[in-house]
Amino acid sequence: MPLRWPAPSTMRWLILATLLVFWELMPRTKIVPELFLPSLSKTLAVLYSDRLEYVEALGVTLYEVAIAMLFACGAGILMGALGGGVALLRNLLLPVFSSLYAVPIVILYPIFTAWLGVGSESKIAFAGVYGFFPVMLSTAAGIRTIDPQYVLAARSMGATLSQQITRVVIPASIPTVLTGLRLGGALTIIGVVVAEMLTSAAGIGYLVTRYRTILDSPRVFAAILMILVLSVMFDVLARGLERRTLAWQTAGRRPRRSREIMQAVPAGAPA
Amino acid sequence: MQHMASLTRLHEVAEPTAIEVARLSHVYAGPEGGVPALEDISMKVAAGRFVVIVGPSGCGKTSLLMMLAGLRHQTEGTILCNERPINRPDPARVGVVFQEASLFPWLSAVDNIEFPLALRGMPKEERRRHAEAMLRLVGLEGFGGRYPHELSGGMKQRVSIARGLVQDPPVLLMDEPFAALDEQTRMTMGHELLRIWSTTRKTVVFITHSLTEAVYLADEVLVMSARPGRIIDRIPVTLPRPRTYEMMATDTFGRLRDRIWQQIRKTTQPGLA
Ligand SMILES: Nc1ncnc2c1ncn2[C@@H]1O[C@H](COP(=O)(O)OP(=O)(O)OP(=O)(O)O)[C@@H](O)[C@H]1O
Ligand SMILES: [Mg+2]
Repeated sequence: MPLRWPAPSTMRWLILATLLVFWELMPRTKIVPELFLPSLSKTLAVLYSDRLEYVEALGVTLYEVAIAMLFACGAGILMGALGGGVALLRNLLLPVFSSLYAVPIVILYPIFTAWLGVGSESKIAFAGVYGFFPVMLSTAAGIRTIDPQYVLAARSMGATLSQQITRVVIPASIPTVLTGLRLGGALTIIGVVVAEMLTSAAGIGYLVTRYRTILDSPRVFAAILMILVLSVMFDVLARGLERRTLAWQTAGRRPRRSREIMQAVPAGAPA
Repeated sequence: MQHMASLTRLHEVAEPTAIEVARLSHVYAGPEGGVPALEDISMKVAAGRFVVIVGPSGCGKTSLLMMLAGLRHQTEGTILCNERPINRPDPARVGVVFQEASLFPWLSAVDNIEFPLALRGMPKEERRRHAEAMLRLVGLEGFGGRYPHELSGGMKQRVSIARGLVQDPPVLLMDEPFAALDEQTRMTMGHELLRIWSTTRKTVVFITHSLTEAVYLADEVLVMSARPGRIIDRIPVTLPRPRTYEMMATDTFGRLRDRIWQQIRKTTQPGLA
């Protein structure tokens, strides 16, 4: 029997498993010093023994992420819809926001702490602003790039302006908006963690900074591991949501005839 | 024989006008004044007729169709449909079928067909009944649950036609509906359209670039000049109905096709005339 490559999904798990094995073996065999990379088992052990501290920190981080996402998505969609739909606002707002998006907003964080203190508020404000931009920009883009043919068709069928918005503009822009939400959500998580690492007294980012200053590598890596798991879980959730919402466009947004389509048509079907 | 004769006479006598365009002109606003797109268009389409409009690219065919559909306002002139002016889209009087890809990709075929009914707030069950009847009419029974990307180009246009007909408007406007299809599918679809037309007795205004399609489908072909578009020839197609593929090989077919082509050649390359 010829040797065959395993399926991509099996492959992904194999790569992950290999990485984890390396994580365990490299420090144990002293190829990498324990200070730089504590072994996986040690990291998991401290994570378990200090679980109360880590769970509490995770709670703080999750709370900040949730509120910041709410702000980023709500304001982003609202402003994006206005910017994409109203020509005057588009010309006024979009160039400004597009340029702001390129600014490393993290330089503003010290100002946020000065205004709002070192508690959760400054993290929420910072991460909210950070995640707001991709949501707003992709919402605006989603609305602006709708095929005018759809709106024309709806008008020819007698759609009023509000029907055009609810039945055409919104469903047609959902794919782009969802992509923006996924990106904005990821940035919000990054924003919260970075803010916690810079100035704070709670949260997972705070644990990373605190244990790094006292050179407690296993505890630093335990915190990193949690952030990794948090981000990956968010991404999986967001992709799942996208897939479920966009069942209608599995073959792309406006697919041309492709082999798949022809195969989907049973023999003897009309032209 | 006598029966046939009386039928013909009936046809001639009782022929109310479905569409009447009088002295219509249109100028698009542009830099340096405006771009005249249509000039002094007058036409009358009798109810139940199949009229095909041909003309060089950019001569204003789509513009004219948009005005007939109430989607755009002409600068001058009037359009009457069933003796009442058209000012805004009225899907109960005029259905429109566009080129490919105007189906909503987020709705299944049957939901696409129900769309105009849903806009009017028709209850779900009644909507579904109408849509299923339309699916049967266009030969797509059992395909209602498919999304547009799961349908072939020809099937998509069948759904578009069903959507244009679902409110049973007396007039159906079609702007190059088969332009994106391959030639074989296109011939099949033309034939199918005639079948649907003969069972529903709609008035059809159909735009195409294909001379063969024009002659095959039409009762009358209107030829438009290069921009600004005027009607430069009206060619009655005398071929009997129902049309068959064999007619394409006849002399009459060839002569009609040639006459249209000569007119278009004259208007696009005046030097050759
Ligand atoms: N919205 C618009 N604003 C300005 N000019 C327009 C607009 N729409 C069309 N035109 C111009 O009016 C003329 C007629 O356009 P139209 O689309 O009606 O032509 P057409 O006969 O349908 O062409 P085709 O055969 O290529 O589809 C063209 O020269 C076009 O550039
Ligand atoms: Mg056109």
